[in-house]
Amino acid sequence: MKKLIGHFSARSVAILAAATFAATIYSQPPIYGQSPAPAAAVSPRTKDGKPDFNGIYQWPTYLPGAERGRSAATTFDRKNFAPLKAGGEPFLEPRTGVPRHDEPRDFCMPAGFPAGMFSGNAMQWFQTKNYLTIVHEFQRMSRIIPLDGRPHRQDIEPSFYGDPVGHWEGDTLVIETTNFKRWMMDDYFYTDPKEFRMHSDALTTTERIRWKDQDTISYLLTIDDPKIFTRPWSQEFQIKAKPEWDKMGLFEYVCEENNRCPGGKCQGN
Amino acid sequence: MDALRWYPSPVPADILFGMAPRISRSLLLFLALSAGSAPLVAHHSFAAEYDDTQPVKVTGTVSKVEWQNPHIWFYLDVKGDDGKITNYAFSGGAPGQLMRRGVMKSSLQIGSVITVEGFKAKDGSNNAFGTKVTYPDGRMVFTAGPDNQTKR
Repeated sequence: MKKLIGHFSARSVAILAAATFAATIYSQPPIYGQSPAPAAAVSPRTKDGKPDFNGIYQWPTYLPGAERGRSAATTFDRKNFAPLKAGGEPFLEPRTGVPRHDEPRDFCMPAGFPAGMFSGNAMQWFQTKNYLTIVHEFQRMSRIIPLDGRPHRQDIEPSFYGDPVGHWEGDTLVIETTNFKRWMMDDYFYTDPKEFRMHSDALTTTERIRWKDQDTISYLLTIDDPKIFTRPWSQEFQIKAKPEWDKMGLFEYVCEENNRCPGGKCQGN
Repeated sequence: MDALRWYPSPVPADILFGMAPRISRSLLLFLALSAGSAPLVAHHSFAAEYDDTQPVKVTGTVSKVEWQNPHIWFYLDVKGDDGKITNYAFSGGAPGQLMRRGVMKSSLQIGSVITVEGFKAKDGSNNAFGTKVTYPDGRMVFTAGPDNQTKR
């Protein structure tokens, strides 16, 4: 191997070494536990003294022990679900055969929240005193979350990503989002095509975000959908900081540019 | 990166290093995260479009590359036993997903000869989802995205 390396430039070798290292660490099982470190000890701070969430991140991933779908996109663990209400069964809908219902993203329709949060693409967070903006590479979707104490907007049309407002509870950023369209809730469709999870238009989500250790954010997501579930339920995920992705940054993602599979009918030529 | 757990092992070092010395620098940027042949789709349903019971493996000349969202597409002119050329179209991951793993646009050079493995489209066309690209010297990379659909 030493002889072969001699054929390459030092820079190439360095890149390859870094890549091999990355491949190795990607393949390792998670080693971080669930016991939270004292946030104050590890949390970087903004000028106004709040925990600093500016940075580039991986999408939320599972805590150890959670049920994982076959999809590499993160999905909810069924064990966390509250019991379904009578009449809430349409939450688990089989595929209907109507492509726009079964997989609207085939048509470059939005993933929506929360599904888009888990879509398996990088994201970058920008934080000021009054806003947290989360930019996802996937579909270049942005969530602009006011932190200035304003209430939810009234009398507006339900949307794919809902209407978020945030506030601080100590070192935890709490984001409550309401006014969603009825839409896909996660990527369980990929896990079991016989199931397709929808949330209703009564959904309220609460995200509780705090630093867990110096490169891990605890992301606790509560689903309160009173048309479907008998009570709210939660699942904690982790979001890993990826400062090594910052140099390359996020890329443009215009889904319509070369979408060749509308409705699952790919057109290659 | 436990979302990649379906890809249990990184590519052995001898695959990355055991290559001809005439390798170009851009090819060094390839980062193959794992062994295995699981198809991945960045935003579409794999199950709706491709048939995991119909694996395909062809060798041909790269005729076109579309390094665009939502998925890269690359095209291969494949010569059949009868001498007839057939153009195959392969879909892959999203450009950003691939570039973040070190697989760049320059990794697929028009005119180069490669072997592609994947899964055929359900529609009977010569479209397929390309999961693995192998070069004549044995190097291999994965062209699927890091997320979403996997079938084993």
